[in-house]
Amino acid sequence: MDKKNILIIDDDKDIIETTGALLEYEGFTIHSAESVEEGVKMIDLVKPDLILLDIMFPEKKTKGFEAAEEIKASHPDIPILAFSAINREYAFDFAKEDIKAEEFINKPVETDKLVELINKYLA
Amino acid sequence: MGGSSKIDSSEYTDLNRVIRWFIGLRWAAAVGVLAALVFGHVSIRYSFNFTVLYVLTGILVLMNSGFALYYGRIKRGNLSRKEMGIFFHVQICSDYVLLFLLIYFSGFLNNPFIFYFVFHIMLTAFIFPSRVVFYYVLALVLVFSLFMGIEYGTDFGLFFRGLAGLRPVEIPGQSVLFGLSLLTTLILTAYLVTRIKIRIVERGKKIEFELNRYKSLDKAKSNFILQVTHELRGPLAAVKGYHEMILKGITGNIAEKTGDTLKKATRRTKNLLTIIDEMIDYAYMKSEDEVHFTKIEIDMHDIIQNNIEYFENLAQERGIKLVFSCRKNIKVYANRDLLNIIISNLITNALRYSKPDSKVSVNGDEGGDEVHLLVRDEGIGIEEDELENIFEEFYRTRKAREIERDGTGLGLSIVKKAVDSLGGRLAVYSELDKGTSFHIYLPKT
Repeated sequence: MDKKNILIIDDDKDIIETTGALLEYEGFTIHSAESVEEGVKMIDLVKPDLILLDIMFPEKKTKGFEAAEEIKASHPDIPILAFSAINREYAFDFAKEDIKAEEFINKPVETDKLVELINKYLA
Repeated sequence: MGGSSKIDSSEYTDLNRVIRWFIGLRWAAAVGVLAALVFGHVSIRYSFNFTVLYVLTGILVLMNSGFALYYGRIKRGNLSRKEMGIFFHVQICSDYVLLFLLIYFSGFLNNPFIFYFVFHIMLTAFIFPSRVVFYYVLALVLVFSLFMGIEYGTDFGLFFRGLAGLRPVEIPGQSVLFGLSLLTTLILTAYLVTRIKIRIVERGKKIEFELNRYKSLDKAKSNFILQVTHELRGPLAAVKGYHEMILKGITGNIAEKTGDTLKKATRRTKNLLTIIDEMIDYAYMKSEDEVHFTKIEIDMHDIIQNNIEYFENLAQERGIKLVFSCRKNIKVYANRDLLNIIISNLITNALRYSKPDSKVSVNGDEGGDEVHLLVRDEGIGIEEDELENIFEEFYRTRKAREIERDGTGLGLSIVKKAVDSLGGRLAVYSELDKGTSFHIYLPKT
């Protein structure tokens, strides 16, 4: 069975390492990028089946939630799961509904929940 | 008026409104003047030169039609500030000239309607900056003084008086006094209105400044909460991830004791996460005014389900059965964050203070014009003498502190504040060692 490709875009190296390792353990092939710019370039290289996109990137110029729009525009067929450490709408300065992603997930997320969601959108 | 050359659209709309008002007022004035003329003419009590007066009224009507047409053209299109200024000057000047001529040819200082000049100077003071108003007042004073001098001091004046149809004045001094009174009224009115206008503008600027300050403080505050949330929960997510990697054996086999020890660390980490969530909610609730909460339509089933899913694993780890029941399509018009705060904090407490192999249930229902949320546990319960204190900030019951070291004592105070903000009410029933149930009633709209 073909292993599915997942691209994780997050500025936190540890999140990439932990989420990546836990998902690999569940049978996915993981690619990662630490910035939106790098991530967008990787999409054409690795052709992921799904993207896990952190929506913040406070230190960087391009924010994750802006990237979602950009990615959806150029690759509308790849499902995006947006995730963030922020779990309350009052903390955002934009509307959650405006994020062009399939689902919005809070970090930390239980791995089995994450796998469930990923499989849902890979189907 | 004055300042940069382009006018922004809201000021443009305001200026348009003023012009429309001017033109409308001038139509009313024309009708009034005509009525007065007809009355004066017909009653044959006045020996004015009515021809001249009718002509002047006709000119007034023509001018206003011109203004109305011009206004029709500029309504949508953009005039520069200079052009708008010129338009106002033209209107005001033509008003003064026509008013002067009408008054002059109908009795001059004997015509009480001369006081309409006061009204016009007030208008001028409202529209133009004080420097311009000063020039208008100066012009009026000079013109009036000139004509009063001509009328009452010279033979030339007698000629004019004939043209103007004035009766000879009995007491020249009286007219001079009258004239002085008028002129000083004009000057004082212009000054007063200018000062009032300056005050109003200053007040407006002050309010705008305060509003901007408030907005930026607000932004700074929500930025702070965003930073704190992100910076605290992010690293914890990584820590949790590493624990999980080790426990699953991804990094290699571990001894049983190592695994057990690590699980204890994981437990405290998860506790820390809930405590952080509580503190952030607390900080948010403390800082917000009620008016900020935007309400939307929320499906009770969905929001309860989301929260159950969030806590499922935690419940499982503690050996607690977490269930919910709620019909679909029970809608409540509320703020989603507040509702999440209520449900999550109640579930956190329920899980925290329950023993393994017990059940926590969340129920959603509706009755009348309220929705009913029930969170019930089979845990340690609350002693009767402490029931009234549990909603106080930082209060934790004796039993609570015994069974679980970590806890802020903020959860229920947050829940209470959230329920109050949503306009609802809550009730709690508890029996020691049997369990506790929290009932939340929220208005549907």
